[in-house]
Amino acid sequence: MNAIIALSLLGIFTLFTGIFNWRKAMLPIVVIGLAGVFVLNGMDYFTTPSWYADYTHMVIFDRYAVVFSAALIMITAMLFFLCKQYYQKEDNNISDIYGLILFTLVGGMLMASFSNFAMLFLGIEILSIPLYILAGTKRLEVTSNEASIKYFLMGSFSTGFLLFGMALVYGAAHTFTLDGIRQYTDAHAGDLPTIFVAGIMLMLVGMLFKVSGAPFHFWAPDVYSGAPTLITTFMATVVKTAAFAALYRLLFYTFGSAKPIWFDALWGVAALTMIIGNFSALYQHGVKRMLAYSSISNAGYLLIGVIAMNTHSANSIFYYTLVYSLASLVSFGVLMLVTQDNGGDDSYTAFKGLARNNPALAGLMTLAMLSLAGIPPLAGFFGKYYIFINAMENGYIYIVLIAVANSLVGIYYYFKVIVAMFAKDTAPTKIAVQPAYLFALVVAAALLFVLGIFPDWVSGLMN
Amino acid sequence: MKALLAHIEISPEIHNGFTDAMPMLMAALILLPFLGFVFNFFLGQRLSKTLSGVIGSATILGSFIIAATFFAQSISGSFTSHQVCLMDWIEVGKYKFSFNFLIDNLSIMMMLIITGIGFLIHVYSIGYMHHDEGFSRFFSYLNLFIFFMLLLVTGANYLILFIGWEGVGLCSYLLIGFWFKNQEYNNAAKKAFIMNRIGDLGFLLGMFKILDVFGSLNFSDVFSAAGGFTANDPAIVIITVLLFIGACGKSAQLPLFTWLPDAMAGPTPVSALIHAATMVTAGVYMVVRSNVLFALSPFTMELITIVGLATALFAGTIALFQNDIKKVLAYSTVSQLGFMFIALGVGAFTTGMFHLMTHAFFKALLFLGAGSVIHAMGGEQDITKMGGLSKKIKITFITFTIGVMAIAGFPFTSGFVSKDEILLADFQHGKIYFILATIAAIMTVFYMFRLWFLTFFGSFRGTHDQEHHLHESPPSMTVPLMVLAILSLVGGFVQFPHIFGGHDYLNQYLSPVVTNTIQEIEGADKLEIEILIATCIGLVILWFITKKNYAVSEFKGEYTGFKKVLADKYYVDEIYEALIISPFQKMSAFITKYVEVIFIDGFVNGAGKVAQVAGSYIRLLQSGHIGYYLFAMVISIVVFLLLNTIIHF
Repeated sequence: MNAIIALSLLGIFTLFTGIFNWRKAMLPIVVIGLAGVFVLNGMDYFTTPSWYADYTHMVIFDRYAVVFSAALIMITAMLFFLCKQYYQKEDNNISDIYGLILFTLVGGMLMASFSNFAMLFLGIEILSIPLYILAGTKRLEVTSNEASIKYFLMGSFSTGFLLFGMALVYGAAHTFTLDGIRQYTDAHAGDLPTIFVAGIMLMLVGMLFKVSGAPFHFWAPDVYSGAPTLITTFMATVVKTAAFAALYRLLFYTFGSAKPIWFDALWGVAALTMIIGNFSALYQHGVKRMLAYSSISNAGYLLIGVIAMNTHSANSIFYYTLVYSLASLVSFGVLMLVTQDNGGDDSYTAFKGLARNNPALAGLMTLAMLSLAGIPPLAGFFGKYYIFINAMENGYIYIVLIAVANSLVGIYYYFKVIVAMFAKDTAPTKIAVQPAYLFALVVAAALLFVLGIFPDWVSGLMN
Repeated sequence: MKALLAHIEISPEIHNGFTDAMPMLMAALILLPFLGFVFNFFLGQRLSKTLSGVIGSATILGSFIIAATFFAQSISGSFTSHQVCLMDWIEVGKYKFSFNFLIDNLSIMMMLIITGIGFLIHVYSIGYMHHDEGFSRFFSYLNLFIFFMLLLVTGANYLILFIGWEGVGLCSYLLIGFWFKNQEYNNAAKKAFIMNRIGDLGFLLGMFKILDVFGSLNFSDVFSAAGGFTANDPAIVIITVLLFIGACGKSAQLPLFTWLPDAMAGPTPVSALIHAATMVTAGVYMVVRSNVLFALSPFTMELITIVGLATALFAGTIALFQNDIKKVLAYSTVSQLGFMFIALGVGAFTTGMFHLMTHAFFKALLFLGAGSVIHAMGGEQDITKMGGLSKKIKITFITFTIGVMAIAGFPFTSGFVSKDEILLADFQHGKIYFILATIAAIMTVFYMFRLWFLTFFGSFRGTHDQEHHLHESPPSMTVPLMVLAILSLVGGFVQFPHIFGGHDYLNQYLSPVVTNTIQEIEGADKLEIEILIATCIGLVILWFITKKNYAVSEFKGEYTGFKKVLADKYYVDEIYEALIISPFQKMSAFITKYVEVIFIDGFVNGAGKVAQVAGSYIRLLQSGHIGYYLFAMVISIVVFLLLNTIIHF
């Protein structure tokens, strides 16, 4: 809880640094501030979770919330290391960008810790509204503006369904607290009123939109590829993690005993998401758009974790989101450099011969691609492994078969990048990388490796 | 991250100050070589050669000191067997794996051999590799080698053992192919790697079977549960045979031995390290460590005896007429490993360990000595071009002579004592084994004497330049030789026969871990005396034969008839080439040409086409118009809700 307050203050303070024009100090302030927030958040890990009574069951910082928040904070901090080089030209309002990213993070943390529908809604909105603006931060680019407005329109449209669903649930259960709704669900598990069921389904629609599950994913490819790549990274990592934290929390803590109601629907969405995401990614010529579709297909794998819903699920979802975020961070990070170096060309050909003059970048990208493809011993393998095993424990064989087939398809387009990088024909020039930028990428890649060898370091944090 | 050095499992009876310190010491023992590797690998090139050599050696010395501390404490009775958990690793389903390490008398003995001899080889390398541009890279690999070998012998479960097992395979690949600009050396490295892989597959399958049967890979769980099985239980037989296949790969037994002679492509200190202190001892160690399982499977034991015997004879005959100084030594290693496996097979596990130890002393000495000779000869390895070196390189000559004495079984040297014990054990097991093993031992004497005379006696047969260049090696090389020479001479005292006033210290030391299944030998003392006399007579006869033939001034080294078959190593490589490699290549050519094109490409491209066509249609959905997207979403929601309703009502 203290972490959220501190983080909000940090965001406001960052806006002030813009007013006073402390440009040099901005990045250190934000990073050190985030480190402090990380520690504050971590302290909650060791205390028994308590309801924040003053706010009558609004948020709870149990281990689930703390662990997810920690990942969100960490990934955001790493993203800040990339910010400086990426936003070199938009230097004028960099403090606004920093501030908005921090506010988005506040929303994300609320989504991991809500214990009341009101906070869920607020979290989503606090996360989304800055994001609509962030998507348009490359003001001079048409695509960026288009992404912003598309995201805004589609986002508000889906929020309507979420709100409508909440209202229906309230109509049946007469409460907004997770506890209260859970009691209601448990008590009426056999014969839930239609209004309640409709509420669940509409809320699901809203949430599935946020996690870009098919067929509610239409916004994602356009927004992901239109938005500034740094913001796309942010959406694929922090926002996706937060959305899954919220979705699982919502389903697990409230509608757990109503699983028969939503299971088939989510099963279908999971399968569809994987298939559409993967097969569309196959067809893309641009690496950025490929990664956007890959992000959709990864949401499909994660949905398997959600429908499995047993004692290991929270851990395996967390592990997967963390690992996926790290790999995305690295791959988007390298993509940004390559794209900038090639004058905006983000196709596979832009990667040709990267290994020759930029072996470090090619190595990082290779690691990230191997992890995304799920090749052991990288962490991506264990991410998939945990999710699949989790579903197998419940006997959900078919969805796992679909998922395995899909991961095989995935290997094709991830390896295409690797093949391009190690192709010999053309050799691009040496790309200048700021030390901080490289540092973040190296740390993320190293984590991919270490977490693959010692998955237990993080895979049991919620026990 | 769970706290490093979290919890300590302590054998129930003993708990004292030293056992508390053991996790730290254990971590240091293993990590020191690793730190040396990291340091030399990343920073080595920027530092002076002296510094990277010193750091490389000092880390191993540090590990040796810790191992010696363990040894001293185990002698004084501070602990007998102690398990240290440095870290929990993975939990997969019902299985849990941890970084557990086992410190007992067996692992301490291995630690001492690895770090002790490893240290000497490191020091030697400072001199030997001094002119090489990859100096720091070389030391980093050596350190990594020791690190993995330590993992292998200290792991408290088969998984850690396996990590070390694979790790030494990797390091041997890196070191054999150290001079990677020579394609032949690269091929040798690949061969070692592939041969080892075959064995590793056996070991891996064995591990799976263990996990399947016992539900755990921990030595303590497996060995205590093994008590519930009867002898020749099918599961145990399968496990032990698979493990033995693994051991065959690592310890170069028939039919997986051909990599070891080729492994001499690496720099000579590497040969010494692979042949003496690390790598090849892994298979022997693993069998001894699993002695509880092997004892339950007489079938496997018999198999081991036969394979060991066959290897000892086979490699011994090949060594008879080799002209490359390192090749002779390499085949002699294969042969000596055969001896070790004979001992294991007949159930004399400690005897196998004993020979492993003495062999480590004298084989390290011989290889390093050979390195010194090669150094003096300016890189020449062909003994037909040597001769008369005894006066030119005195220290090398004297120490090498001691090595030859030890391996030939000169009475009361370490090699005599350990080989003598193996022969006794064979005698107990069956006369025919004894006779065959004796023949192999006689061959050892022959090829070592031949090597010795050709190298150091007669007159110099090399070029004039080489003769001019001859010089003794620097102290960093000769001092390790002297230390090893002393060990080779007196190393046998730990297990000296009773009749000559000795004690079986080693038997007693290893008795908590190893249970020998061989029975007390009747009339051992009488046999001992007979062997001693026979050895003396045999040595004298062979001395004269070899001296006449090989202490010469002219030597062609070309052979005809059966000798040529031996000199050409029974054409095993050629047979493997014809039977395995070339059919494989033909098959892969066939597959590339037909199966690949028609089926794989057809299927993949077909699937790719289907996917792309499907993708192109899916892509049409992504038109970019917001109005259309909103419409699609509404349709989706309607379908979503409708389907859900249909399913449930």
